Amino acid sequence: MATYKDYMLFDKLPHTWCAGCGDGIILQSIAAVFAEMELDKHDITLVSGIGCFGRVDDYLDINCMHVTHGRALAAATGVALGNPELNVLVTMGDGDGTTIGGNHLIHCARRNIDLTAIIANNYNYGQTGGQYSGTTPTDSITSTSPYGHIEQNFDICKLAEAAGASYVARSTAYNPVQMRKLIRGGMEHKGFALIEVMVACPTHYGRYNRQGEAADMMKLMNEQSVPVEKARTMTEEELEGRIVTGLLVDKDREDYYTKYKKIIDAQNMDK
Amino acid sequence: MKIQIVLSGVGGQGLISNGEIMGQAASIFEEGLFATMTAAYGSETRGTFTKTDVIISDQPIGYPNVDEPDVILCLAQVAYDRYVDKFHDNTKIFYDTEMVEPAEGAKGEHIGYDFRAMSIELGDMRTANTIALGVMLKHCALRPDAVKQAIASRFEGKDKVIAINHKALDLGLSL
Amino acid sequence: MSKSVKKFIEGNNAIVDGAIAAGARFYAGYPISPSSEIAEGAAKELPRHGGVYIQMEDEISSMAALLGASLAGKKSFTATSGPGFSLMQENLGLGIMSEIPTVIFDVQRSGPSTGAATKPAQADIMQARYGVHGDHSIIALSPSSVQDCYDLSIVAFNLAEKYRTPVLFMTDEVIGHLRETVTEVEPDPSQIFNRVQPGEDVTQAEFRPYSFSSNMPAPMPAVGGRLLMRTTGSTHDEKGEFGPGPANIDRVTHYLTDKIEKNVDDITITRSYQLEDAEVAFITFGCSVRSTMTAVDILRAKGVKAGMLQLVTIWPMPEKAIRAVLSKVETVVVPEMNLGQLAGEVRKFNDYGCKVIQANRTDGVLITPKQILDRLEEK
Repeated sequence: MATYKDYMLFDKLPHTWCAGCGDGIILQSIAAVFAEMELDKHDITLVSGIGCFGRVDDYLDINCMHVTHGRALAAATGVALGNPELNVLVTMGDGDGTTIGGNHLIHCARRNIDLTAIIANNYNYGQTGGQYSGTTPTDSITSTSPYGHIEQNFDICKLAEAAGASYVARSTAYNPVQMRKLIRGGMEHKGFALIEVMVACPTHYGRYNRQGEAADMMKLMNEQSVPVEKARTMTEEELEGRIVTGLLVDKDREDYYTKYKKIIDAQNMDK
Repeated sequence: MKIQIVLSGVGGQGLISNGEIMGQAASIFEEGLFATMTAAYGSETRGTFTKTDVIISDQPIGYPNVDEPDVILCLAQVAYDRYVDKFHDNTKIFYDTEMVEPAEGAKGEHIGYDFRAMSIELGDMRTANTIALGVMLKHCALRPDAVKQAIASRFEGKDKVIAINHKALDLGLSL
Repeated sequence: MSKSVKKFIEGNNAIVDGAIAAGARFYAGYPISPSSEIAEGAAKELPRHGGVYIQMEDEISSMAALLGASLAGKKSFTATSGPGFSLMQENLGLGIMSEIPTVIFDVQRSGPSTGAATKPAQADIMQARYGVHGDHSIIALSPSSVQDCYDLSIVAFNLAEKYRTPVLFMTDEVIGHLRETVTEVEPDPSQIFNRVQPGEDVTQAEFRPYSFSSNMPAPMPAVGGRLLMRTTGSTHDEKGEFGPGPANIDRVTHYLTDKIEKNVDDITITRSYQLEDAEVAFITFGCSVRSTMTAVDILRAKGVKAGMLQLVTIWPMPEKAIRAVLSKVETVVVPEMNLGQLAGEVRKFNDYGCKVIQANRTDGVLITPKQILDRLEEK
């Protein structure tokens, strides 16, 4: 039986993430899902961008393509269409995946490229000192919103769903069991799968917004969490400030390459 | 040998198609000829001035634009007016008598036919340019057979279009 | 016997044929004038050869997708112009740093910005060389005929594969839309360079995706094969792992430059036209070659010993060939459709007191033989 250890590069540890950061929990969950699914590591390609969670490839013993800030989904589109047999996994943060890379996210979802995207959402640019991102909640303090953030933030899952994503889920670093289940579901899903994982950034976001230590932030995250089944019975006011978790969208929709392959089969002259 | 040809008129008259047929005839269906073609780009709107430059030569062709044509086809007044100052004594000017009023004292040899009316009589208004091509051909170093082959190649699979264009070319050649 | 087809087509069409003949099977791009015929041709032809065309949301993502597909083992290409070429610079840098081959066809138009979107220019020459931030070198070719568009496309893919790097194909609106005679000869497999693969006995423990010890890149297996592959746009070590130490940064910087510059003789292609006994020489590239060739013919007809050096490779600069001309003649004219981007490079090599005259045209109309000759008379 394979274990998560078979997919890890232990000589690269300890990792660079801050104490209390949730990114390590996602890293272990990803490796554990590989083991559960008994994947051949040669068949997995991880594409990552720039940001704290973009560093996840440093610790995984699989094929890795580490690209520019925001462009992981675009590069992964090329990988997935270049070799449709691969399991393509994309790891991004909220800045990488939804802010600088927001355009790529909606188009990748719309096209239904067969890959699994995991976005670690810590509400800010953690790697570079805690500046605000596209998911920073309104009124929050960050290093670039010292007087309070005036912008409306993205709801990543709603954004992906509206763009046509065929699998959308949300979990938190507090709940690795659920996270693992949802990541596995995403990897088994044929088509574009997005899993948003809420993670605490005690070093920047937590400190700026007086949310206490990492443990306090994790507790807060748990208190805010509402399973999607329950959320469906709640009003919009009741859901204000809550994190809806679970499998939010799961649709059968033909992925891009499956459709394109029909064109190739019909037009191919090379036989 | 180097013949500089301008096909001019307004968008939608099939001038690019004519140029391609001439170029194909020269490069594929003749031996030892080179051809270039440049077309107005970015302004191909139906009804406004457009032109295509074709050069046919037995040597490799450098500069591909035509400033002073040896042979010119003018299917619209606006096109004629634009080029009239570029005509030299040996320029052959083919024009549509219904669409173009030649300038008094213009240089070159003017050869006018009612291409449009002839094409309507032939049964397809879109063949006016092909009739004109037939008329111009002997000044362009191209054999009728090569041009017919080029027409057949360009409209491959469209037998009716090929037939009517061959007919139009023959009509032009007979004038 | 190789198959050979004679056609009368546009430069942009011949590029698609050349790319497919070279083995390209993936295109990601964003349509833009005057390059869109390449996208349209790729969309039509690629599935016929088992390949994939995808129209991305912008040129940034197009470049990223090209690199992804290339890492997955497909030869990839895109076409763009002006603003699109600017957007590609970010991930062009990624391709250079990660050492992932691909080919970018820039059908140059008048700029900056939207400029005159349908008019030709040759003003991206410095952007091609220095558009990516950070020290690096680049390979760029420039065609002057439809035949070049076919033949040099194959050369571009070969160079990209051999040197594991993005290659730029700096064509222009004139050549892109020029229709002319082209003979498309299907290349023999021996004329196609495919990226070097690690030996069959190389183990994962021994395998290194990068090598900085010579001026040639490491073998490059595709992801999904026997060996795990790791690429990154961060400064890395031989294993493709993060390597931000000062000595490693310096080593990688030198390597990325030397890989191209130290192989300049293998990479560069030039052509001479009537140059043997020339007393007046022209040095030029791309569409300006056409007008210059005619200018040389006109001068020769008058008994003036004129000749032309055509730079088929514009980066790295064919220094030896340029020096050979500068050291031999008294006057060199540099015709180009910009304000002197090539002329500046020619002057860099002018240790011979040669008079270097610029012949520039920047109004979006192909420079004429007469304009080139007028500059010579003004001297």
